Amino acid sequence: MSQKGKPLTRRDFLRGTLGATIGASVLGTKFMTAGGSAASKSLVTIVRDQSAMDSSNNVNANILKTMLDQTLIKFTGKNTANDAWLSLVKPEDTVGLVPTPHLNPTHQEVEDAVKSSLIDAGIPEGKILNAQGRSANPGACTALIGLPALKAHWLTGIGTVLKLYILYSGMPRNYHDENNAKLGEIWNLPSVRGKTRLVLVDALHPLCDKGPQPDPRYKWAYNGLIAGTDPVAVETVCLRIIMEKRKLMRGEPWPLSPPPLCVEAADKDYGLGTSNWNNIKVENYGWDEELLLG
Amino acid sequence: MTESKPILPKTAGFWTRPDSPKSVNAQNIFDYMDGAGELYVGYRFDHLEYYEYKAKSQEDILVEIYFMKTSDDAFGLLSLDWGGEPVDLSQSSQNNAKNVSTDMPRALYGEGLLRLWSDNIYARVMAYQETPESKQAVLALGHSISKDRRNPPRPDLLKNLPDSFEPNWELRRERASYFRSHLVLNSIYYLGQENMLDLDHTSEALTAPYQRKDSSGDKTRIQFLLVKHSNNERARSALAHFHRAYLPEHPLQTKPGYSGKMVNIFPIEDGWIGYKLQNNTIAFIFECPDHETARIIIDQI
Repeated sequence: MSQKGKPLTRRDFLRGTLGATIGASVLGTKFMTAGGSAASKSLVTIVRDQSAMDSSNNVNANILKTMLDQTLIKFTGKNTANDAWLSLVKPEDTVGLVPTPHLNPTHQEVEDAVKSSLIDAGIPEGKILNAQGRSANPGACTALIGLPALKAHWLTGIGTVLKLYILYSGMPRNYHDENNAKLGEIWNLPSVRGKTRLVLVDALHPLCDKGPQPDPRYKWAYNGLIAGTDPVAVETVCLRIIMEKRKLMRGEPWPLSPPPLCVEAADKDYGLGTSNWNNIKVENYGWDEELLLG
Repeated sequence: MTESKPILPKTAGFWTRPDSPKSVNAQNIFDYMDGAGELYVGYRFDHLEYYEYKAKSQEDILVEIYFMKTSDDAFGLLSLDWGGEPVDLSQSSQNNAKNVSTDMPRALYGEGLLRLWSDNIYARVMAYQETPESKQAVLALGHSISKDRRNPPRPDLLKNLPDSFEPNWELRRERASYFRSHLVLNSIYYLGQENMLDLDHTSEALTAPYQRKDSSGDKTRIQFLLVKHSNNERARSALAHFHRAYLPEHPLQTKPGYSGKMVNIFPIEDGWIGYKLQNNTIAFIFECPDHETARIIIDQI
């Protein structure tokens, strides 16, 4: 993301010549809220249960399953989790699960719960693949389920949804720092484009500082699952949660740096979804303390 | 002593390490830690050795020892986050939280993670599950890493970081960071996409905010940035690059052959920016509330 070939600077954010979503993360200004209509809103659900993890942060698999079922039912409007899955994927699909591998990796329990739930819905086990990693082949999948873990990232600002497919590029370093704006192009690769049927964010134990390596002081028990089919809307909600947590933790402005250029670029340059808060409908269920939605 | 490798105990509490560490260099660091490697190669990184201590029915303890080419580089890594509980690893591991200076300590502990600077080593010792036993083991391992090693002073550049600027600006010392890479600068204080100050391994820089020290509750801050290049010519060239990238409406005007001090102050969108170039060093201040403040501070640099 640059303006007519001129590299971006802090001043571009200050002038407001870039979108408000990024400005909000860098400068602590307000998220973009202009426009939007009820008919065109992207739905993002947040399901939380205070007991999803114990005091040692071990995941309770039974509670997680209930949260997953509720997520699927609430998001799709279907009566059962099986019906919900079958509105998203078909039994003949080859389904690739794409968890976060590094920094704050997706809980294995989340991957297991999703796989088990898909099998219950009638997707053959042999047609459910782990599609993460340098050697993964998204071209072999007809459907992808994104399972990122909620985290900030020191080279891309936020490293949750849009960064999830970075290894598909074969050149992850090309998308760091200022080039994080280009992350959206990976979602438009022929082997990836249009295949993402659901983004289910593991927000059980997020990381609100950028690393680059995990620091447990910046993790907290949010005990949530965040879901949507619009990856940019889901990322925008994740960004707001991260920003609110940082503000709460330090009691003073704590901007994300570098700015997560990828979020608005995914909207404006790559057409992957909306980063406009007014075009996002957030529905939350369950535990509602410190939702961190501003 | 400084070149020696730390000797880590075979066991620490319940945990036991393998016989030898795994080693990572600048060529394969990205295989080990993905994009996090950019941080270490942004400093003068030599290599990393790591051990995974394991124990039955306990989460692992990961020990990462980063061998940097200078003590300054190891300090820089610790300086990126002064949060946590300061610990004194020169004392016995039972006693290490007592009477520790909170002013840029050499080791910090928080929720299972110990980070330390010991001469040319920066180390991270992390218990994946914090318990009283794992904390004791983590601190004991930190003690072993730093034992019998030199404790060189902080980088000389920090001597140029005043505790305060008149009339009433106080250093936020716990936010002061030392680095050599624009990626690291952007992760602390975002200036822009390109390496507009020409930072590299031959340069060094530090940045910190200053806050009003009156009791009015005013949280106005200014950001101080100091960049030192290997020679005067490089510093002058970096300043010209900065002007082109950040202040394009104010082209740098110098008389041919002039090599003296340069001082400028400009209003931009978030207040006043000022700098002083002197020899091979450029000092910047960002977000000054008014011209007078910028002038007074620049005059003190």
